Amino acid sequence: MGRSYFVDETVEEYLVGLQTAPRSCLTGLLAGQSSPQRDFVVLAVQTPHRESEGQPKASRGVSPLDDIDVEWVTEHAKQVSRMLPGGLCILGLFLVTPPELSKDAQNALKRLIFAMDKYITKGRLWELSEEDVTDQVTLHICSKTKKTVCKTFDVKDPKSSAKPADWKYQTGVSSSWPMLTCSVEVDVQIPVSSDITDKCMKDGLRRWTKQIEAAYCLINGRQALDDSELSSGQKKNPKTTHRQTLPARIFVTDEQSELDERSSALVQVCSGSVKVRGVVYCRAYIHNNKPKARHAAQAIKRDIINTVCSRVEMFLEDLLIDEGSHKGLCSGQQALPRRVFAPMPISGLSVCDYMFPDESTADVAERLKEMLDCETPEEDIDTGLEGNQLFSDVSGSEITDSPSDDSSKHVISEVQAENPKNQKAPQYYAAFSSSSGLAANSFSGSRPYSFRKFSTSMAKNSSLRCFVIDMKLPSSSPALYTSRAGRTSSEKRSPAPVAEARIRQNLTVEYSAARQVKQLLRASHPLIPSS
Amino acid sequence: MCCDIIFRLKGILEFACQLDNPNGAQSQGTISKSFQGLQSKVSSKNIVLTVCNSPVLIWPNTGFQSNVESLTEASSCGDILQYIELDDSGTKKSSKKKDKKKSGPTVVNMKLLFEVTEPAGNEAPSLIRVSTQQHCVKMPLPLDCVLSVTTDESMATVCTGLVEALNKQLADMEEVVLRYRKGSSFLVPQPFHFQLPEPAGFTTVIYPAGVPDSQLQDAREDLHNRFKLPSDRPYLRRANAFHFPDAAYKDGYLRNPHIHLNPPNIEDAKLYLVQGVYSYHHYMQDRVDDDGWGCAYRSLQTICSWFQQQGYVETAVPTHTQIQQALVDVGDKEPRFVGSRQWIGSIEVQAVLNQLLGVTSKIMFVSQGSELTTKGRELANHFQTEGTPVMIGGGVLAHTILGVAWSENTGQIRFLILDPHYTGGEDLQTITDKGWCGWKGPEFWDQNAYYNLCLPQRPKTI
Repeated sequence: MGRSYFVDETVEEYLVGLQTAPRSCLTGLLAGQSSPQRDFVVLAVQTPHRESEGQPKASRGVSPLDDIDVEWVTEHAKQVSRMLPGGLCILGLFLVTPPELSKDAQNALKRLIFAMDKYITKGRLWELSEEDVTDQVTLHICSKTKKTVCKTFDVKDPKSSAKPADWKYQTGVSSSWPMLTCSVEVDVQIPVSSDITDKCMKDGLRRWTKQIEAAYCLINGRQALDDSELSSGQKKNPKTTHRQTLPARIFVTDEQSELDERSSALVQVCSGSVKVRGVVYCRAYIHNNKPKARHAAQAIKRDIINTVCSRVEMFLEDLLIDEGSHKGLCSGQQALPRRVFAPMPISGLSVCDYMFPDESTADVAERLKEMLDCETPEEDIDTGLEGNQLFSDVSGSEITDSPSDDSSKHVISEVQAENPKNQKAPQYYAAFSSSSGLAANSFSGSRPYSFRKFSTSMAKNSSLRCFVIDMKLPSSSPALYTSRAGRTSSEKRSPAPVAEARIRQNLTVEYSAARQVKQLLRASHPLIPSS
Repeated sequence: MCCDIIFRLKGILEFACQLDNPNGAQSQGTISKSFQGLQSKVSSKNIVLTVCNSPVLIWPNTGFQSNVESLTEASSCGDILQYIELDDSGTKKSSKKKDKKKSGPTVVNMKLLFEVTEPAGNEAPSLIRVSTQQHCVKMPLPLDCVLSVTTDESMATVCTGLVEALNKQLADMEEVVLRYRKGSSFLVPQPFHFQLPEPAGFTTVIYPAGVPDSQLQDAREDLHNRFKLPSDRPYLRRANAFHFPDAAYKDGYLRNPHIHLNPPNIEDAKLYLVQGVYSYHHYMQDRVDDDGWGCAYRSLQTICSWFQQQGYVETAVPTHTQIQQALVDVGDKEPRFVGSRQWIGSIEVQAVLNQLLGVTSKIMFVSQGSELTTKGRELANHFQTEGTPVMIGGGVLAHTILGVAWSENTGQIRFLILDPHYTGGEDLQTITDKGWCGWKGPEFWDQNAYYNLCLPQRPKTI
């Protein structure tokens, strides 16, 4: 007796409409909500095309199935899971293959599903409870007959075999799902020693996470502790499309277990501290098939934890690119990205994204297109749910202990037209050096998700400037992007003539050096496209 | 006690501060500032009080709001009892009835919570980085405030009172933390509640964790002066802390089973009883089969438990082996005595009390059991001044005397006896019904045997 997946009709439309090249495969994600009795799928997204570097990909394996870029699929899954509000998560994968590959599809799916689950759950701060469903669904679609085969794997058990599952299409699966919302004030102090690492940030947040998990919760004014049903106060009426909004209130307490009883304070000598502070807006959906109040509470709590965790992760990813070695930690206040929401196509649920201070709704819309394969009009993106970032001037003296005079810097820019067909925006590499070495970043016109923060990382080191040259038009003057007090001004200013000359002179000399750096970076950060 | 309800509010607040130089002059200011931050936290709109085992939530700093509509600021606090779900253990029903007669005020336990939703502002999330080397100090403060009131007191008064108590406790904790701090070594300030004689009444004192009572003598002297307490007996040792009626004793021994008894009906007699708290020790406890030989040892254990619970000693009640070893150590017995099943008498009890607890005792000798009826005055005096349990040994038996009912005029006397020969479990019902703890007449004693009584004396100390 397998699991039952109730799938929204829009997902069916999407899957049917997928175009695959002959003899090739297509992967994608399935997202929705699991409950102990049944599962609901509300979203399907194909894996976005990875920018290949103009060289035709030599087929390494025997079949196109071996060419599936597992890392890319899992990275996409991670990025999409950050965009899902509480209650929703990645439920599984789909794979479209030509008929001749169908029999090997299951193995490929099994590999992918385990890899994906492992990657997504790595670094997650909250623990699964006993009631959480650990089955993930795999859907195989034959590109010719459009026939689907649906199976599940228990990702808790590496030896588990595929179990059959039901895949049923329905209209309006999520149309009446109530939406829980709250704004949460966060104020966590994390001591750090020498490096700000993912581990030390996560450890610092762990206590806060446990407080949230154990917190009292009121949903729509009622305590959400026991097995009572979540009463949304509204009779389930399939005709109503009105989605109820249930405000949630969270109350934390600091329980001290008896084992923990200390007689003295915990003192840590640290080389600094990081405080995560501000108000985050949280949202969660709960299915309306007799949900229990405490599951709803759990969904909103997990969203609170996830949204803080994701932003900290993004900050750390940024730091990795930005500061190479972690010498010269700068002090001051830095904005974490702001959470914005956009409607999901047709299902009426919303997805979220994180907007850095220098970004606009256009950037968000671009990312939604890239990650979720959906067009979102910019005016539909709700940016008003969280506060506007106000920058405090980062005074020069606070910033870094390493010498930062311009004369010691070489600014190298280099352009590589990766895909001559892509006329949309110039692709360019821009590099800047800090006292610790060279770092090079590359990004295409639409910022790939890992490198979105390039301009913000520039913004942080206000003593650095970036010169960008479009190599397609070498005679054009370099665009100078200066950053001041954390804000990027994107107007082009003409640089001082001395600087310009130096750039051109350096260009040839350091072109190769930059190449080397790129290789280095690629080795440590595999998503940088090779050139 | 004139009050009917004790509201007890517990919660943990994390104290955190960053010290650049723990030994520097500025550190005290930084610490005080952190405490002030905590005080404003408990006065903020975000604090919520919840009544344990009930759905009641109260916002005390927003002009009193509660999630239960019928509970308003004007409601009398006694109303809160109807919302509390009591534990239905279902055992010892009739002893519950007896308890009702003797039980004191009802305790309403509350917990301190902080709301993190409904924020006052909409500050955008950010990361604030500080890169100076510092000592990060984190310490959980175990807040524990009590407020004793009558049932007709309004909820508003109760809540204001509790918030004030929280603020005061934080101030007291700050004082203790600063006083006992050494550089970056901070001791956790722990609250203890004491039921003191008037005018002090129900009082809370903060002691630093890990510092034994023996080192807090000066602090206690100060407090004895302040609260006008006699200076010859302990009131403020940790062991003297008020035992809340709803809290179970973790060690499982019964406390003061005699309070459940009806006093004997003698004309003109006054009761002279043991003061304070003791535990009932008897045969077969602690998986030691001492049936037939251990009665004096058990009586001695009961006496030791009294000294421990009145705060005179911090050592645990000694085992049979430890008692025997003590007698060997003082030269009273040969080494092979340890591990044997030999009886001991009042003299040995006196010796052990002296050796292990530093307690002196008086020995009273009675040449025949019938003479005990003439000892009414002496025993009455003992219970009035010392109030310690008395061990009596004679014939082939040892018992503990917990008090006398004695008439000065008629000379009639009854003895409150705690019998160590009981071999069953800690069942109060059986113990009181079957007389294992009970009032006995003069016929209880072997009229012809001689008896020795050991009367332990209270040390004159605080």
